Amino acid sequence: MLQPLLSAKTQFWKIAKRVTQKLAAIAALVLLGGLLSATLVRMAPGFDADERELDPSLSAESQLALRQSRAGEHDILRFYASYLRGAIHGDLGTSHALGQPVQSLLRERWPVTLRVAGIGLLLAWILASTLAFTACLWRLPAFEIFGTTVSGAFLCIPAAVLALLSVILNAPGYLAIALIVFPKIYRYSRNLFAKAYAMPHITAARARGLSETRILACHVLPIAGPQMIALAGITVSIALGAAIPVEALCGLPGIGQLAWQAALSRDLPLLVNLTVMVTLVTLLANSGADVMVYMLARGES
Amino acid sequence: MNMSKPGRPAFSQFLFCVAFLSLALSAVASAQSGGELRFCLRSEPKTFDPLLVDDDSSLSIRYLTGGVLVRLNRHTQELEPDLAESWKLSKDGKQITFKLRTGVTFSDGSPFSAEDVAFTMQRLMDPALHSSTGDAFRSSSGAVTTKIIALDQIAITFPAPIAGLDRLFDQVAIMSAHSPKKEAAVLGPFMVAEYKAGSSLLLRRNPSYWKKDSQGRRLPYLDSIRLDIQSNRDVEMLRFKRGELDLINVIDSDYFDRLAASSPGLAHDAGASLDSDFMWFNLVASAPIPDYKRAWFRSTNFRRAISEAINRNDLARIVFNGHAQPAVGPVSPANKFWFDSNLKAETYRPDAALNLLQADGFHLQNGALLDKAGNAVEFSIVTNASSKPRERMAVMVQEDLGKLGIKVNVVTLDFPSLIERISQKFNYEAAMLGFRNVDLDPNGQMNIWLSSAENHAWNPQQKAPETAWEAEMDRLMRAQASAADPKKRKESFDRVQEIVAEQVPFIYLVNQNALSAVSSAVQGADPGILSPQTFWNADRITLNQTKRASR
Repeated sequence: MLQPLLSAKTQFWKIAKRVTQKLAAIAALVLLGGLLSATLVRMAPGFDADERELDPSLSAESQLALRQSRAGEHDILRFYASYLRGAIHGDLGTSHALGQPVQSLLRERWPVTLRVAGIGLLLAWILASTLAFTACLWRLPAFEIFGTTVSGAFLCIPAAVLALLSVILNAPGYLAIALIVFPKIYRYSRNLFAKAYAMPHITAARARGLSETRILACHVLPIAGPQMIALAGITVSIALGAAIPVEALCGLPGIGQLAWQAALSRDLPLLVNLTVMVTLVTLLANSGADVMVYMLARGES
Repeated sequence: MNMSKPGRPAFSQFLFCVAFLSLALSAVASAQSGGELRFCLRSEPKTFDPLLVDDDSSLSIRYLTGGVLVRLNRHTQELEPDLAESWKLSKDGKQITFKLRTGVTFSDGSPFSAEDVAFTMQRLMDPALHSSTGDAFRSSSGAVTTKIIALDQIAITFPAPIAGLDRLFDQVAIMSAHSPKKEAAVLGPFMVAEYKAGSSLLLRRNPSYWKKDSQGRRLPYLDSIRLDIQSNRDVEMLRFKRGELDLINVIDSDYFDRLAASSPGLAHDAGASLDSDFMWFNLVASAPIPDYKRAWFRSTNFRRAISEAINRNDLARIVFNGHAQPAVGPVSPANKFWFDSNLKAETYRPDAALNLLQADGFHLQNGALLDKAGNAVEFSIVTNASSKPRERMAVMVQEDLGKLGIKVNVVTLDFPSLIERISQKFNYEAAMLGFRNVDLDPNGQMNIWLSSAENHAWNPQQKAPETAWEAEMDRLMRAQASAADPKKRKESFDRVQEIVAEQVPFIYLVNQNALSAVSSAVQGADPGILSPQTFWNADRITLNQTKRASR
């Protein structure tokens, strides 16, 4: 009685330790990502320039005030320290380009991206895994050719072109994201399913007359599952990356559009916050996938 | 039967009249039954505070929502009374007295009076505000004073004379001194009803708007205006063609021609605008460029030769498909009062250009132009990557100058990088840009022509004028700024235009035409050359719902 309890306790602590390590690594990476982003923006040409400098109606005093408004960003370490101090107190700074608090901008825009990228990701997964599974299950050359051609075509088309097509065809933005993410999922999952279905014990199971649903649930998914979960984590970052051109071109007011505007105007406070946010989401998604795979592996052992 | 015979025509005539009247009435009703006008802003408005406006989108919103004391008629270019019934300028040009309209209220119902004008002016002239609208009123240091003579009369006194003072009030949207709604309480035809960040803006009719039409009907006719935020011009045009938008305020010549080919009635070319495209050489003494190149750029003959070697007619014809005019100078011919009609656009004379260069010791060798010391004449032109017409112009200039043996490299940069190069690091040889002129009065160009100014692009912030002609321009610009008599001001500024033509610090290339697209459902729009081109009379625009439905 005592032995299983001790074992469960040990297992809990092991998982807790792993989760803590992961969270610490995430925090370190997020902080580093933010600093790296700030440094890159600071070094970018035109960092210190403001379009209003060319406005002839501005007096010399106003021009000077304009330049001084960015003076605090010249020393990047000092800027970052002050940014972190503000972030702890809930102040993420003010966007230069839009003149609004970054916090409110992120609050307004994040749900749009979450919806667009979320639906796009879901559609991509449904489409890709259905196609991959069907191709492996029926092993018809037509399916194989169709899947490879379609995924290959979408893999070749730049994300911006797919976004423009969605504008021209009046299609929703999430469809463009789905088509950008789809080929990456399809190709990987198709290979995983193909390898799983080629294993001898699945051939034996088929010979014994096991139903395809049972083969999939009991034999294929346990083999392909952990890698599919890892892929899910990666596709979150792919979808977020795709959201930038899609939102910018389709005029969707999300984080992607904001990132595009911020990059064009060298908006340091906004760019640092966006980098921190996107890094955090990506790392959490990947780490979540890692933890799930680890727990599955532990469960099996 | 007999009885009915004579009655038939009468009855049919009656029916015809009824039908005609009902048709006419329904046409009027459909034209003036409110509705929602839809068009795009190219970027997110940076502010709703009318005194802090300095971007195009915020300008459009201020124009549609703000009430001003005097309004510049975008068609006649004349000032017209608005919230001020009349106004009077003092002889010394330092004071302006307004007689205000009575019975006017803000959109929240609070009454409009001289107190609001005083509040607006005091806030506008606060040096800590750094408002570009306020800076236009700043001709010297010292406080601006406001004196409320009566609730409908106010005198505003400035520390020094301000040229074209009354016209500047076209940009000052009056704010309420007492309303708790602050900038949300407006005096213009529309008010901001809804703002979806990054997506759209809804302006609703201001029920308290004071203007009425000739039949005594309250303006504006429209119920609302929906402004979608859309930076992509392809998408904007696509949506216009689909009938999702009613107008495009400014369109490029390529889009214009495509639209004119498919729907000729919808594309409007109002002629040459006030905007100009030009190039200039870097004359800054500390600029990181070789001394021999600086010597070329500082030579008037060199600059004149480059100007004469550029075929402006070709630029207008090829780059803008004929929707541009060769530029004459700092003032577009579209500016009826301030344009110096004695000046003509530089004609394309490559032979004369070569003669000018030879006078400076340049010579041709194996098809390449060399200076006195044998250095090959080569320079780069930086321009912004986001403007396709400007990129194409730079390439055409490259071709034109290539015929003289001059090698030109075209460098396109994104806007922040370009600004950094031309206004902070001065790390460029020649630059090509455009000037979007929203002010007819040349006083708005003081910061360009004064040698000490930040925007004196070719050699800014000079402690003392480095050349005699720049000293003369300083004197003339100050003279026009301090003179009250418009004729004297024009004389001074005409001379500035002549100096620019002689010394060529800016090589003016073209004045683009004001091109716009207006749906057939929009009635009463009169696209012009002054901003905002298509909706300057938004309070009188109507929508024909039948035509809109058929699009």
